[in-house]
Amino acid sequence: MSLAIFLVTLAFLIVIQSAIPFLLKRTIVFGVTIPEEYAMDPSILSFRRRYSALVFIIGTLSLIALLVWSTTTSVSENQLVFTGLAIQSGLLLLSMALYLYFHAKTMKLKQVNNWNSGLKQVRIADLQNHAKDSMLPNFMYVLPMFVTIGLLVYTASQYSLLPDQIPMHWGPDGQPDAYSQKSPFSSIALLLILFVMQVMMLGINVATKLSGIKLNVGKKKSSQLQQLAFRKYSSWFLLLITILLTILFGFLQLTTIDGALQNETLMMAVPLGFLVLILVSSAIYAFKVGQGGSRIVVSVEENETTSATDDDMDDHWKLGVFYVNKQDPSIFVEKRFGIGWSINFGNPIGYLVLFVPIIIILLISFFA
Amino acid sequence: MFIQIEPTSDIPIYTQLANQIIELIARGQLKGGDALPSVRALASDLSVNMHTVNKSYHELVHKGIIRIVPKSGAIINPIVQEGITNENCHRIIEQLKPIIAEALVLGMSPEEIGQHASSILVDLKGE
Repeated sequence: MSLAIFLVTLAFLIVIQSAIPFLLKRTIVFGVTIPEEYAMDPSILSFRRRYSALVFIIGTLSLIALLVWSTTTSVSENQLVFTGLAIQSGLLLLSMALYLYFHAKTMKLKQVNNWNSGLKQVRIADLQNHAKDSMLPNFMYVLPMFVTIGLLVYTASQYSLLPDQIPMHWGPDGQPDAYSQKSPFSSIALLLILFVMQVMMLGINVATKLSGIKLNVGKKKSSQLQQLAFRKYSSWFLLLITILLTILFGFLQLTTIDGALQNETLMMAVPLGFLVLILVSSAIYAFKVGQGGSRIVVSVEENETTSATDDDMDDHWKLGVFYVNKQDPSIFVEKRFGIGWSINFGNPIGYLVLFVPIIIILLISFFA
Repeated sequence: MFIQIEPTSDIPIYTQLANQIIELIARGQLKGGDALPSVRALASDLSVNMHTVNKSYHELVHKGIIRIVPKSGAIINPIVQEGITNENCHRIIEQLKPIIAEALVLGMSPEEIGQHASSILVDLKGE
């Protein structure tokens, strides 16, 4: 079972990581802004192809190696988990290293060829940007919290019926493999973690709404439609994750309360279904929406030509991945290399939204 | 209704912003009663400091072009129909004077200055 999980997630990682350069905007190459007219430069195309090919080939080889090694020799569960995690982290490290290498090369290429010279750099905004924003309303994220509160009340009412050992961790087969002594706190620890996650998701939605809608000067209207679609689908995706988390955690809590629900197939199927749904929906999101909605097809006439180009903001993107801009009140910004959102490290609210819930979750799981 | 700023320009960003909003009103794209985006929204869209946007809104309030309404935000005042006040008239002339003087010094003829002024008017009024 662990083997199948590792193979599926590894295959997923390989596909996404190697497809990334082709899912991104053509004008941002390895975190460096490249003017539209140079975006199809042969050296840039070769950088992208080399990145993808290397990640794909090395990833596939390691996947085959993992498969062969685990099926031909008798490996223990622990060894398998360790190696599987090591290969996954290795692949991510490899993509990061390749990214940095090509980031440096693209930077150099831009400097040597003096791309961008002559064009004045501008930023644009639509005064009606936020009136057109159709992200999900925040109360949608509050609704799943009622499920959690309901389960809290239910757990409290069933407290005497709870087992003496409360499951705290579940193995790959869906069976609990770590327990805590029964106490009012440990009996609801799982629900508390779920609640903190729901609050975090709500916080992310609120913060994303407050973040800027950044447009491209060369294609104002289509970039606006894409940005708005990107924001809309991001909030749908996030809500889907929130709902799936609520179902998974709610299910686990119910099986703890009522042992009769501990059907072996179901215990295995629910977490696995959760994993598959998360992977499939992320893949659909990545391929359909793309970076900042760049894969969403919009058909609007851009009637004006401009002698200006977008402000490249290269100075604010440290290494092309970390956005640090104290001036910008945006909490989240669209990722430069990758799909989705990244935090503005210049704005402390972002840390609050992300790291405080994570610390609370760690504390709960440590003390429960 | 797009606003465009040039961060590296010599003209401060808050002035660029105020000028563009005034131009949108002159063109009739923004009308009396329309609301401007919140300071935070516009600042985050343009990746500039909130103080910058705030300063430009305050400048517009000072000039009587917008008003700040509690809870609704910055609202555009209708274009003045009953003629310009003496005070504003003086201020505009004061601002025009150095520009016209510079044009003359750099060799623009009085006729050309007149022509440019009318073509700018035609452009803004869309006639």
